[in-house]
Amino acid sequence: MMLEVNDVVTAYGKIEALKGVSLSVDPGRITCLLGPNGAGKTTLMYTIAGILRPRRGSVRFDGAELVGETADRVVSRGIALVPENRLVFPHMSVAENLAAGAYLRRDRAAIASDIEALLARFPVLKERRAQQAGTLSGGEQQMLAVARALMSRPRLLMMDEPSMGLAPLIVEQIFAIVEELNRDGITIFMVEQNAHMALKVAHKFFLMEQGKVTFAGAPGDVAEDDVIQRAYLGSAKAR
Amino acid sequence: MGFVDYVQAIIDGLLFGTTYSLIGIGFTLVFGVMQKINMSYAAGSLAGAYCGLVGPQLMGLPPWSVFPLSIAASGVIGYLIYLTCFRFIPLASPLATLMSTVGMLLLLDEIIVHSTAGMPQNYPAIYDGDPIEIGDFMLRADLVGVFLVCVVAMAVLLALLYRTRLGMATRAVAQQPVAAQLCGMRLQAVNGLTFVIAGLLGGVAGAMIGASVGMLSPLIAGPITVKGLIVTVIGGLGSIPGAIVAGLMVGAAENLFQALRNVTERDIYVMLLLFVFLVVRPGGLFSGRGHD
Ligand SMILES: Nc1ncnc2c1ncn2[C@@H]1O[C@H](COP(=O)(O)OP(=O)(O)OP(=O)(O)O)[C@@H](O)[C@H]1O
Ligand SMILES: [Mg+2]
Repeated sequence: MMLEVNDVVTAYGKIEALKGVSLSVDPGRITCLLGPNGAGKTTLMYTIAGILRPRRGSVRFDGAELVGETADRVVSRGIALVPENRLVFPHMSVAENLAAGAYLRRDRAAIASDIEALLARFPVLKERRAQQAGTLSGGEQQMLAVARALMSRPRLLMMDEPSMGLAPLIVEQIFAIVEELNRDGITIFMVEQNAHMALKVAHKFFLMEQGKVTFAGAPGDVAEDDVIQRAYLGSAKAR
Repeated sequence: MGFVDYVQAIIDGLLFGTTYSLIGIGFTLVFGVMQKINMSYAAGSLAGAYCGLVGPQLMGLPPWSVFPLSIAASGVIGYLIYLTCFRFIPLASPLATLMSTVGMLLLLDEIIVHSTAGMPQNYPAIYDGDPIEIGDFMLRADLVGVFLVCVVAMAVLLALLYRTRLGMATRAVAQQPVAAQLCGMRLQAVNGLTFVIAGLLGGVAGAMIGASVGMLSPLIAGPITVKGLIVTVIGGLGSIPGAIVAGLMVGAAENLFQALRNVTERDIYVMLLLFVFLVVRPGGLFSGRGHD
């Protein structure tokens, strides 16, 4: 296990968004988290990343406890999150956004060569390296958010709905990149609404409904239609 | 009073206006990262300038020591304001920090009044030279000194914001705090640092106001707070270029109104200028776009 989430409860005021979530991510694999709107997927991502503090439970990364660590410590341990809605720095150039992703690194020369390598990997960004990130299209911003996360050289890359609001062609590109990154050895933990695509690339997936994990398995364990039904609409059981 | 005098008034006002620009930038920097107004900012800057006087008056240091001491003290006060008025105050409530910083404004004012018995204190000029004559106009040497010091302070700030790692963190937090944290930037450290930077700028402004007026008086805390806020609003909350331009504008306008009418009326017209902006361009010159 690379990442182990155990009985995590995270609340906003009195409302518990996560009601005891447990799941695990295997090293070198692609793990997907599916679930309907409001299930708590983003809350879980932010809890792991150290942005939100859980009420209880534990998050272990390579055996080390992450609960209680600040977000910068989580990044320096090797986890990067591509957040929901991309959250690029709108008034910084593409190149500056990438430099910001390497904030905790001190190896200037390597940072510069990583920026060039990522720009080569994402040609749409290369053409726009001096452009303000806020003026990029949604798909370009998503590429930038992924590239920015990679700048910290993570071992675990978490992605929160990277295909949201994007055209099918761009979604295909994003998933192709995900598989490529995974082949390069980066472990992926991804939230997706697009269950069809997610099940194609995932080695393992979890279904989350109303703050609880209600199913864990490998694609192929169950009929895709059934998963899609529950991922979009939630099951009767969880209610 | 003729045309030449009015132009002369505008020139003097533009030179002095750079101090307002600095105060405006200070308000805007803090607003940028915290989305909050620090009402005690100008008072803190003035208090810093007062602290600088300790050097020559009590420690026997040379007169020029007042300037670096003022700036350093104001930076420290900036951090203390962060700790007392922001760090442990619930930020979700919009009124909480307004109350705490207004309280700090009053406290600083009281401390100044009590420690000086309310008496104005002499403050040295930055430069004592002959005025520079250009045709019909002349540039007061001390104001030129003030202008240059303020411009250097702005240049240093911009270099810090756009050329250093810390500056990048400040801009990142202002633009997108969650993503900044995901990049490994520490919110509280960046916030605290921003207060120090704003404080240092305020120290420069406070010192230069003292240097051009020739003295410090508790009576100027109120007006510079108001002028600083006006500059911030006219420039556009969160915009540094806006604060710079608006500071020059307010400086020039107030001096012109003073020449056209008189010193007792001038602030009425500065308020009217604010009113015009709120009606015509409520977002300010460069409507708040973070640190762009
Ligand atoms: N800042 C917040 N304050 C209060 N409640 C929140 C907050 N953020 C999320 N919630 C609530 O927590 C629950 C889980 O939200 P979350 O964003 O984690 O869901 P999600 O699974 O990511 O949904 P989606 O698929 O729509 O992105 C929801 O009921 C939501 O209303
Ligand atoms: Mg979500």
